[in-house]
Amino acid sequence: MAPTAGKERARAVRFAAGGPVRAVAVVLTLAALCCAAWAGFTWYAAAHDDTLAYAATRDEVREAGEQAVQNLNTLDHRRLEADLDSWEDSTTGELRAQLKKGRKQFAQQIRAARTVSSARILSSAVAELDERAGRAGVLVAVRTTVEAPKEKPATKQTRMRAELTRTSHGWKLSALAQVPVGYTADTPDERD
Amino acid sequence: MSTTRHLVNRRRRLAAQPRPAPRGPAADRAEQGIQEAEEAREAEVQDAVPPRRAARPRPAGARPRARTGGKRIAASGAPPRDSAEGPAGSTARRLPAPLARLLRGTGAGHRLLLCCAVLTLVLGGFAGWAASEAGALRDASSARNTALADAARTSEVKGEVTSAVNALFSYDHATPGRTERAAKRLLTGRAVAQHRELLAPVRRQSGEQRIVLTTTVTDSAVTALEGDRARVLLFADQHSARTAGGKAGAKGAERKKGKKGKAEKDDGATYAGAMLAVNAVHQDGRWKIAAIDTLG
Repeated sequence: MAPTAGKERARAVRFAAGGPVRAVAVVLTLAALCCAAWAGFTWYAAAHDDTLAYAATRDEVREAGEQAVQNLNTLDHRRLEADLDSWEDSTTGELRAQLKKGRKQFAQQIRAARTVSSARILSSAVAELDERAGRAGVLVAVRTTVEAPKEKPATKQTRMRAELTRTSHGWKLSALAQVPVGYTADTPDERD
Repeated sequence: MSTTRHLVNRRRRLAAQPRPAPRGPAADRAEQGIQEAEEAREAEVQDAVPPRRAARPRPAGARPRARTGGKRIAASGAPPRDSAEGPAGSTARRLPAPLARLLRGTGAGHRLLLCCAVLTLVLGGFAGWAASEAGALRDASSARNTALADAARTSEVKGEVTSAVNALFSYDHATPGRTERAAKRLLTGRAVAQHRELLAPVRRQSGEQRIVLTTTVTDSAVTALEGDRARVLLFADQHSARTAGGKAGAKGAERKKGKKGKAEKDDGATYAGAMLAVNAVHQDGRWKIAAIDTLG
């Protein structure tokens, strides 16, 4: 009897106040609390990281720029209205006003010429991005193909500079220009 | 919860010990200390097997009041009954026995363990979730690409790649060694062969004519920048001139060499607009070009 009792007693001691089970439970809980605090902080920091937000905006701008340039280089005389609508959808400001103004005349020309223009984006990159002002500059290398009836399709590679402006409906094209060739020869480069 | 084991233990202990579990206020503190934790865990066992009672389960409403710090008031012979039982008790009565016992979870220790378990699970779950959210945010492709976001490095890449391209695609018949040296210094990997191939027509022609090819990058932007690797899109103007002794038909030959969008200004000079994307790697303290994509 006595040895058994001693054993039981020892066992009871092990489970006694501050015994291993309770201690382990408390330690585990504290460890979990620390992990949760750390993970929560990391998550908060990542979610409020300006650099990450900026990088996300940059990619958004690049995508919007590619899509807009693609849209503005696509025109099929068979579905002219839809294509011209997408031109207006992709642009804003002055550029959009210009497109709207010249739309009728331009549509007539295309209907007469019966051309089909398509474009493929070869590469693009955001050259500048001012998040506060909501302005960005994007370089786009694009290959355009123009098919006219009874003519061989004309393909050319075009270098474009696009300027995008942030609107309530996302980033829209506010200016689009081809990079002219050889202009550096006439106007001295300011880097020199 | 190993209530069954505790029940058995408890019974055995009760049988072995001359002193039964119930103690008066005079019970020695050591004994109390020993049993505190166990009592906490076994409170329901005590309920089920009251030391001085018949071994039938008491009604749930009759359980001893929760104790603090293991100080037991109720365990003595005449425990003050908690006649006004909370809804938990009535719920417990209807539940299957083990669950009911768990829910009744009398004893601060028992409750502490339960709280710890639940807290650990909840906190652990939150930690895992938050860590994965943070990881997703930081590992997104846009986050890994530090082009523009890292302004200093972006302009460093742009600057070095621009001057590298200017040097690599400029050629003077009088000093062909300069282009060679630039190639040795600024190219690595696949780009070495690509550059040789791209400049081959110019070298060939320079045997018959005196060609001076000048490349000027007009626009550049970094598409991607990840650590020591970058991809840069460049627009360049190429001006090629024959300084003397141009043969008839040279213009045609130059036309083949000029890359895109040629615009001839006069007989001897050609302007061509070029677009190219290069991969650059940071090696030996400078950005070297590793691959040249003419976007053809």
